[in-house]
Amino acid sequence: MDKVVSLRWFLGIFTAAFVLFLYGPFIVMGILSFQQGPEGGPQFPIIEWSTYWYQHVFGLAPPSRIAPLPIGEALIRSLTLAFATMVVSTVMGVLTAQAFRQPFRGSGVVFYSVILGMIVPGVLLGLGMVLLANQVGIDRNWWSTAFVLHVVYTYPFAFLVMLAIFNRFDESVEEASLSLGVSPAKTFRKVTFPIIFPGVLSAMLFAFTLSYDEFPRTLFTGGSDVTMPIAIYGTFAVEIHPNLFAFGVLSTLFSFSLLAVYGILLTLSIRRQNQRASGLQEDIT
Amino acid sequence: MLEVKAVSKNFSGVPAVEDVSFTVNENEYVTLLGSSGSGKSVLLRLIAGLLTPDEGDVFLNGTPITDLPCHERRIGFVQQKYALFPHLNVYDNIAFGLRHRVIDPVKDESIIRKKVQNTIELVGLVGQETKMTGQISGGQKQRVSLARTLVTEPKICLLDEPLGALDANLRERMTIELQNIRRELGVSFMHVTGNEFEALAMGQNMLVMSDGRIVQQGAPQDMYARPQDLITAKSMHNFNILSGDDLSAQLKAGTSDKLPATKLKDAHFCAIPMDKIDISDASAKTSGLSAEFLTSEFLGNKIIYFFKIENGDVCEVENHMSLRERRELKANATYQLHWKSKDILYYGENKQLLG
Repeated sequence: MDKVVSLRWFLGIFTAAFVLFLYGPFIVMGILSFQQGPEGGPQFPIIEWSTYWYQHVFGLAPPSRIAPLPIGEALIRSLTLAFATMVVSTVMGVLTAQAFRQPFRGSGVVFYSVILGMIVPGVLLGLGMVLLANQVGIDRNWWSTAFVLHVVYTYPFAFLVMLAIFNRFDESVEEASLSLGVSPAKTFRKVTFPIIFPGVLSAMLFAFTLSYDEFPRTLFTGGSDVTMPIAIYGTFAVEIHPNLFAFGVLSTLFSFSLLAVYGILLTLSIRRQNQRASGLQEDIT
Repeated sequence: MLEVKAVSKNFSGVPAVEDVSFTVNENEYVTLLGSSGSGKSVLLRLIAGLLTPDEGDVFLNGTPITDLPCHERRIGFVQQKYALFPHLNVYDNIAFGLRHRVIDPVKDESIIRKKVQNTIELVGLVGQETKMTGQISGGQKQRVSLARTLVTEPKICLLDEPLGALDANLRERMTIELQNIRRELGVSFMHVTGNEFEALAMGQNMLVMSDGRIVQQGAPQDMYARPQDLITAKSMHNFNILSGDDLSAQLKAGTSDKLPATKLKDAHFCAIPMDKIDISDASAKTSGLSAEFLTSEFLGNKIIYFFKIENGDVCEVENHMSLRERRELKANATYQLHWKSKDILYYGENKQLLG
């Protein structure tokens, strides 16, 4: 009994330490982002608490020798790219996983060639894409070559998530729908999709976040219009100021809000079911 | 009405259904009895259109439907584990087929409401309409599953072990209700089960399936009293099957009167009803098949005694309390078993009933 208790304590403390370590950089970054500016540098001690660097990020601070972060357009690009990647990868992931529900000849080859996209090192893929693009004579752009690689990278994740979802999926409900005289297409729309929807949301989240902060593939293939991770890396090369930390805090908050949206969507879909439980609701379509 | 002709299905070379033919008539309750792995579920899926037969054809009212996809067959199929739509409530589950089917979908919600309400009353689900499928009991799920199919008014309804997951009490009630519902609607039911009592109690016509083949079909009474096939006899769980080289010796020892010589010569197997066997002490003067008493099972209105006969087979003797008093037997003691010659069923080498 004593052993169990002490093991529990050990595991508890270990977990706490791990979580602290996980959030350590963020905490340090968060504190330093409130450094006094423009003189205060990216190190302790805090000269004076201020929101100067946040103002700087939004271009509200009075002009100084420190250049504003070149992130405005990069951020829009990154979000657009992540969104497009999310849509394409999720659709492809759902469809591929759907195909894998039935055994077919060569399924092993197809499986591993899809998975290859997330196993092959990004640098290698990026470099390969550059060579290929040069060979064929295609310009490198964030919306073309980089976009393709983002899909290649995130599609396996969406696929694996959906594969796991379909693995637990009870196909007898689809058969029930078919035997009630409902076509396969409508069965997918009215039965399969609503049931796998939480999984689709997870696949979307995966694809979006992976694409949003993708670095090595974009570095090689993104062309001259950079995405946000590349833009931030670019500022490192010169000199680091706490405005970067302020931006880091903001983008982390953005990620958390994405997670919150995911959570809300999930809750809503559960609540919708409960609502149906409490009152009849006509099917609109 | 439903006609299955010489249907076969293999799964990677292993036959699951072999050369099966039978007919289900209009307004008829047919039961299909088979142990697990006998191919009965595969047969249902072949009829429903969820599988395609390798050979043979399925006809509905004279029209071949073998090549029609499942959703165009208009055959109802109630699945073993209900397969309710978890994202819809009871009402929407039942209305699903009417709303979304390809052939003749109902667009008018008021008609849907009327039909669904009627079916809900028929299966006894009044008051459950707005509940989600996770909030109702097993018996209610069973009813939703049935109602969902019946509301679409199929000509024939396939039921795959519909009572399998219900507890014994509920099962008994549902057997009666299923029959009432069917009679009221005038549809044909084809009920698949692994339980011989269910098959006997419910069917007007009964099929017995084993190893992918239909071994016997007929009225339940005949099936029970005189199974034409040894497999049918086994699946009734009412017979002790005697076999082996010493079959005639066993019969001579156990039969208390004269044995018919001709049948005895051709018989390779014999079936003796469990409730037609008497037990007497080893010291009794009457001769009998000597057997070692193993254990007994008390079932309320009857008791079953288990014996081991000389060749090692287990022999069961059923004692109905209304007919005979309960006997206390000693474990591992030897007793004599005997029966009358008229109760013996003889089976030839081909496992078919003789005479």
